[in-house]
Amino acid sequence: MDDFLQGLAMVFNLQTMLVIVAAAVFGLFVGAIPGLTATMAVALLVPITFYMDATPAIAAIVATSAMAIFAGDIPGTYLNIPGTPASAAYVGESYRLAQKGRARETLGTNLVCSVIGGLFGTMVLVFVSPSLAEMALNFSSFEYFWLALLGLSSSIFIAIGSRVKAFLSLTVGLLLSTVGLDMMSGAPRFTFGVPDLMAGINFIPVMIGMFALNEIMMFYGSRVEERHVPVTAKDSVFLKAPGHIKTYWRNVLRGSSLGTLIGALPGAGADIAAWIAYALGKSRSREKEKYGTGHIEGIVDASSANNSGISGAWVPALVFGIPGDTITAIVIGVLYMKGMNPGPTIFMNGGGQVYALFTVFFVANLIMLPIGYLAIRASKVFILTPRKILMPVILSFCIVGAFAINNSITDIWIMLIIGLVAFVLARNDFPMAPAILGLVLGSTLENSFMSSMLKSNGDLLAFFERPISAALGAMVILIWLLPSLIRLFRRWRSTPQPSHKPRSS
Amino acid sequence: MRDFLLGLAFMIGGGVVIAVAQTYPTMPALQFGPSLFPSLIGGGMVIGGLVLALTRVGQLKNAFAGPRSQVASYDYRGLLISLLPCALVVFYILASEFLGAALCMAASMLVLMLIRGARLWLSLLVSIIVAAAIYVLFSRYLLIPLPEGTLFSQTLTFAW
Repeated sequence: MDDFLQGLAMVFNLQTMLVIVAAAVFGLFVGAIPGLTATMAVALLVPITFYMDATPAIAAIVATSAMAIFAGDIPGTYLNIPGTPASAAYVGESYRLAQKGRARETLGTNLVCSVIGGLFGTMVLVFVSPSLAEMALNFSSFEYFWLALLGLSSSIFIAIGSRVKAFLSLTVGLLLSTVGLDMMSGAPRFTFGVPDLMAGINFIPVMIGMFALNEIMMFYGSRVEERHVPVTAKDSVFLKAPGHIKTYWRNVLRGSSLGTLIGALPGAGADIAAWIAYALGKSRSREKEKYGTGHIEGIVDASSANNSGISGAWVPALVFGIPGDTITAIVIGVLYMKGMNPGPTIFMNGGGQVYALFTVFFVANLIMLPIGYLAIRASKVFILTPRKILMPVILSFCIVGAFAINNSITDIWIMLIIGLVAFVLARNDFPMAPAILGLVLGSTLENSFMSSMLKSNGDLLAFFERPISAALGAMVILIWLLPSLIRLFRRWRSTPQPSHKPRSS
Repeated sequence: MRDFLLGLAFMIGGGVVIAVAQTYPTMPALQFGPSLFPSLIGGGMVIGGLVLALTRVGQLKNAFAGPRSQVASYDYRGLLISLLPCALVVFYILASEFLGAALCMAASMLVLMLIRGARLWLSLLVSIIVAAAIYVLFSRYLLIPLPEGTLFSQTLTFAW
């Protein structure tokens, strides 16, 4: 009980609450500007969170990411351009509703669904994580090896687009994770005589390069576009939202649970959760024909799913130290810096830190309602902010942010090189999530493999001797075989079945 | 075409990674050491690159077999402009010790705003205010030692 009250006190103080409000407004601004993603918002925020205590730092990240995901719906509704990739699934539906004069009603429903989805994901985080953590306490290097491999495999096989490109993107991340002193032998690898690289490559300059510098380069490589809002909004924000939630409560529940589950899968984030929830919602709807014409049901599933995915991604990140998406990949770096090493022991340490973390999730999701309401009323301010003014400002933040991590120019070079590589890869449709997971999980994979081999005297069969390890190993093999099995199943279904001849009497 | 070239680039990169990894020492107690993972990653890059290149051979043949006009012209101007932010980052790295972080940021922002057609007075105003705000926030509030610039410190000392 003391820990619980201590946790509440860590959140309900002026500093943390102000941080949450400021982070939510920042997330709103970044999310509402097309081309700027929630991951980019978090990556830019991290250098500032370094100078905060652990609770406000995490609160800032949670509030920014949750708000940015919702705010992505604002330009989607008014301009038919998703603010973040997580809003892309239902942008057509929202825009058509806006054309019918229902822009605010749509955004109000989006907001309520986002809050419910976020709270659902938080409930799962609160109730499932401690039990999972108790189980994870018995894990050894064998289980962590398979968990890391499971995360990396999911990032390839769940990625949208070419699996070969996802795999190559993963190798880039894994290669970056090998830079620095080898944990087992102490031998320097790929350091090129640069002392700053001996400790390895810091996540944050890589993230800034991959998600911010890359986007800035994309913007300058594209044509200038003047934006104007073609639809007017005079309707009420929340008047019809309760009715929609009542009518489509099953969709909200389905979207939230699906989003939490997909968010918890490493490599699959809010965007994939939204796409799958939209497709599932459409396939189970009684009014399929209305989808694509501006149907409110079309936004309920996916809008709940993308925000619940954000909370769901924290489950594996906190329990196993394995990020569920790119945002939690950054969070893991921040948690280490704050001395809150992610893993099962995070739930066992006293001091109310875990309760503070759970409370932060509830507050950050609930605060979306008033701030989101104001944002919907003032939508035009956000979506018409000229990017030609904003992008140079972001570049300055990128430079200073990368430098601020270690006060080192080397980190600016790393940001620059990674930004260039990410630009080339992203322009050619290589997904970025596998690279980030490779960077974060690479050292876990290698160290757990090496220590397991030392324990078992080089016997590879030892990876299947413990029951949980064997089960995780079987899951990894199943994920690898799944595409071939699906292909075989489809081929079997498409081959014409021999028709039964009627028996002659 | 670009995928084919990227596949080749990954193959070459993987080969280099494997070659560099072979120079790492092995651990006496085990048959493997710090070279194992980089070698596996390099192998993965070679195989993945090969698969990517091979799957694009057909498209490559079609592109070369068809009339030249069918090959889409590449937007080299757009590519050059997209490299401008990187050039300005290099400018910051090289010049910030001398000119100072605030001036380098202001100059970079001004160039980037003007190149996308922002008004001069607005660009100047935003660049100066934002550069000063970022400098104060990071160097005074967050205590990050951003370069002050030898140019200004020398000038100020001289003036003093």
